[in-house]
Amino acid sequence: MLVLSRKMNQSIMIGDNVRIVVVSVDRDQVKLGIEAPREVPVHRSEIYEEIQRANRTAASSASSGSSTPPVAGGPTRAKLEPRKKDTPRP
Amino acid sequence: MMSAEPDASATDLPIEVESPRFGAISYTQSEIIRFPWGLPGFTSLRNWLALTLESQPSYIWLQSLDDLKVAIPTANPYHLFEDYDPKLPSYAAAALDIHSPSDFTLLSVLVVTAAAAEMTINLMAPIVINVHTWRARQVLLENSAYSVRTPVPRKAVQEEAASSAI
Repeated sequence: MLVLSRKMNQSIMIGDNVRIVVVSVDRDQVKLGIEAPREVPVHRSEIYEEIQRANRTAASSASSGSSTPPVAGGPTRAKLEPRKKDTPRP
Repeated sequence: MMSAEPDASATDLPIEVESPRFGAISYTQSEIIRFPWGLPGFTSLRNWLALTLESQPSYIWLQSLDDLKVAIPTANPYHLFEDYDPKLPSYAAAALDIHSPSDFTLLSVLVVTAAAAEMTINLMAPIVINVHTWRARQVLLENSAYSVRTPVPRKAVQEEAASSAI
């Protein structure tokens, strides 16, 4: 891991398009500003890691096979459609 | 080759693979859902199929084509939670070229535990699929009130399946 020291208002460039700025420092909390292109997601690490864990758990509970009935017929392509907000309810 | 048409038929020939979960699967290129960034936890797995079984119509399985051992159960969150209508972060629209509600659909990852009658669904990080380009990305609704592990009574999935079969 690269470790850099920055003072207030100093910043770091990651690649050509992402900038991290030290906005404020207050005892044990650092406020960071992130400038990135619109298509780049920025998330707190613990949130990202929670999603990673949930995805991995979902995949491993599937492979154990014991949680759902045994596969009977073959799989078919799932029908994926946009939500139709005006569809009347049955 | 004397044909004047482009050789489009070659890319639509069925491909056969053997998956540990589903056995033999036959698919064509046009059925592949492309995740250019993979998924958190599976960032190198970019090519997936969305499959269902007749016996479990409410489960939509994302089967990886890059690692056939990986299959992730998901469900349509709109069917289970009528009011679910999250505001997608701007990177979703930018990454997937989405401009209107008719451009995309959502799938939410299910965690199914063997013992419990309950399962949980990840409403905080829906998988967004562009239904025109078939590119997808899982997006994190970080500042929403949605939970990664929202309980879904298994009964609700079965009822939803029953009503959709009518």
